[in-house]
Amino acid sequence: MKISDLIVPGVITVFSFIVIYLSLQLDLSPPMIVGDSMQPRAFPIFLMIINLILVGLLTYQFYQSPPDSIPLEPFQTWGSIILLVIFYGMTTGVDFFIAIAVVMFLMCILWGEKRILVALSASLVTPILIFVLFDQVLQIRFPRGLLLDWYYG
Amino acid sequence: MLEALQAMGSVVLDPFLLLLIFATTIIGVVIGVLPGIGATTGAALLLPFTLTMSPVHAITVLSTIYVSATFAGSITAILINTPGTSAAAATTFDGYPLAQRGEAGRALGIAVVSSTVGGIFSVIVLCIAAPMLARVAYHFRPPEYFALTLFGLSMLASISSGGSIKNLIGGVFGVWVSTIGAEPTTGIERFMFGNYDLYEGLSFVPVFIGLFAMSELLVQSKKANQIVNTIGMKAVKLPSREDYKKIWKTILRSCGIGTFIGILPAEGATVASMIGYAEARRWSKNKEEFGKGSIEGIAGAEAANNAATGGAMVPTMVLGIPGSGTTAIILVGLMVHGLRPGPYLFTEQVDKVYQIFGAMILANIMFLVMGLYAAKIFARISLVPISLLWPIVFAFAVVGSYSLSSALMDVWIVLIFGVIGFFARRHGFAVAPIAVGFILGEMVETNLQNSLKMFDGQWWMILTQPLAVLFLVLAVLGLCGPMIFDLLIRRQKHNGDSSNS
Repeated sequence: MKISDLIVPGVITVFSFIVIYLSLQLDLSPPMIVGDSMQPRAFPIFLMIINLILVGLLTYQFYQSPPDSIPLEPFQTWGSIILLVIFYGMTTGVDFFIAIAVVMFLMCILWGEKRILVALSASLVTPILIFVLFDQVLQIRFPRGLLLDWYYG
Repeated sequence: MLEALQAMGSVVLDPFLLLLIFATTIIGVVIGVLPGIGATTGAALLLPFTLTMSPVHAITVLSTIYVSATFAGSITAILINTPGTSAAAATTFDGYPLAQRGEAGRALGIAVVSSTVGGIFSVIVLCIAAPMLARVAYHFRPPEYFALTLFGLSMLASISSGGSIKNLIGGVFGVWVSTIGAEPTTGIERFMFGNYDLYEGLSFVPVFIGLFAMSELLVQSKKANQIVNTIGMKAVKLPSREDYKKIWKTILRSCGIGTFIGILPAEGATVASMIGYAEARRWSKNKEEFGKGSIEGIAGAEAANNAATGGAMVPTMVLGIPGSGTTAIILVGLMVHGLRPGPYLFTEQVDKVYQIFGAMILANIMFLVMGLYAAKIFARISLVPISLLWPIVFAFAVVGSYSLSSALMDVWIVLIFGVIGFFARRHGFAVAPIAVGFILGEMVETNLQNSLKMFDGQWWMILTQPLAVLFLVLAVLGLCGPMIFDLLIRRQKHNGDSSNS
């Protein structure tokens, strides 16, 4: 068993202890409200105790038969995760639909689309069609931003 | 009974519903042939579009996606050796070899007929079994519901993908996610970190879109440079008389297996197709043909996976416990549209329930027609480059999740759960247990609280309720069986490896 095999059980264990700690910080409900039932903190703590038992079993399983090593993902995967972060930044800072179009375009290119015009048209036409569908047919109002401020007036 | 038949028949007289089934079958088949998307992701992405529809129309859309995408996975399984959905994985074993022999049309014909028979059979079982089970469930009280939800959670141990312990950890995580927000009886805030957008807890749909669609997007990014080869075919052929003689017993057997597996909480079409295929091989007189293009193999897998769709609807509608990932979305659809899943659904809104069942039968017939006449066209859709397809899915995922309650928080939830789902899958944890745990979480906690109130805080009194005890025993069996099995297999493998070395 390698040290790296302990990363997953380790992360889950740390997570479980954090949840238990946070649960213990929760307010206690007055007995007249809770009655014969349980405090709101009890259930998450109970869950995390089960989790810790399961992590113990998982570690034993890994000890008995170590898991296969996981190959590192290609740059497209990590790039896509970064694009999700960029999407968050652009939505809060610029505009929801501009963010969608930019991220779509970058994702097309990142995933190997060599036809720039095709990628550009897909990333422009799709948000426009989706906007028309949701705005006109489903009557959804989208969050204001650079573009939607201009549209909504 | 007559009223039920009338309600089921009434769907034929609703032209909008027929049009909806037609359009959704096309969408479902497209979703099914696109590798990676699948019925669950498709249903999650389409759920926001159903908000403006009537409950029957909305659930029809979701269930049509379910049955048609489950079938359509076989198209790419046969033609390009890539199952469009995990449920079609067993179809590749014999479908692709048969296609390589130049009989792609025959393979697809057998797949579509077997799927239709399986699908219709399971809806008939659903129509008969669901009201009977509802009559029993009508007498359930909190202790029985608590034990039942524990049984549902225990079945996560035997979900096909991931190991049983990993699935249970996923399920526990899902249950914990359901505790985020204000606790319903006391109003005490849990894990909100001062964010009042989370006061009512996390919404089901963004969590599901994140877990299924967004995490799949990140998984698919690994395949960005893959090239697929297709096999050409002239036309889809209906099975010949000789074919029918060879496969009818297999289809019937798989119908039973698929429906039964589907009814088990948290099990689904993937498990059903694998068992259907294995049983087809076990009972076959031509075992040597399996893996080389056996039509019994295709029929066994396809009849079972579509039979599981109707079966999975039984616990979903009667008990509010999802039978699979897609039925978890249908369950959310039922709740969003004011149809409270559970036995009362069969007394208070029985006409709507039977209309949905009728629509499911129509959906099965619709994909038979489409499978026979348009499979060739649909197969071409699978060639859409993923570098264009998945950015489009991304746009639908974020806009769809926003549209549910016009809250950007839902979009952030999609992104967060997308990344969580991706890392979970990277380390061998399936996302379906997280989704099922999330759905059942509130039921477990609420019914445990109500049981404690019922018995003045004496939890052991739950064990005095016979039905609750039965479910708890089943839960222990469901929990321990696969775990012991898992450990034994690993130990055997380990011993084998050490003796070899």
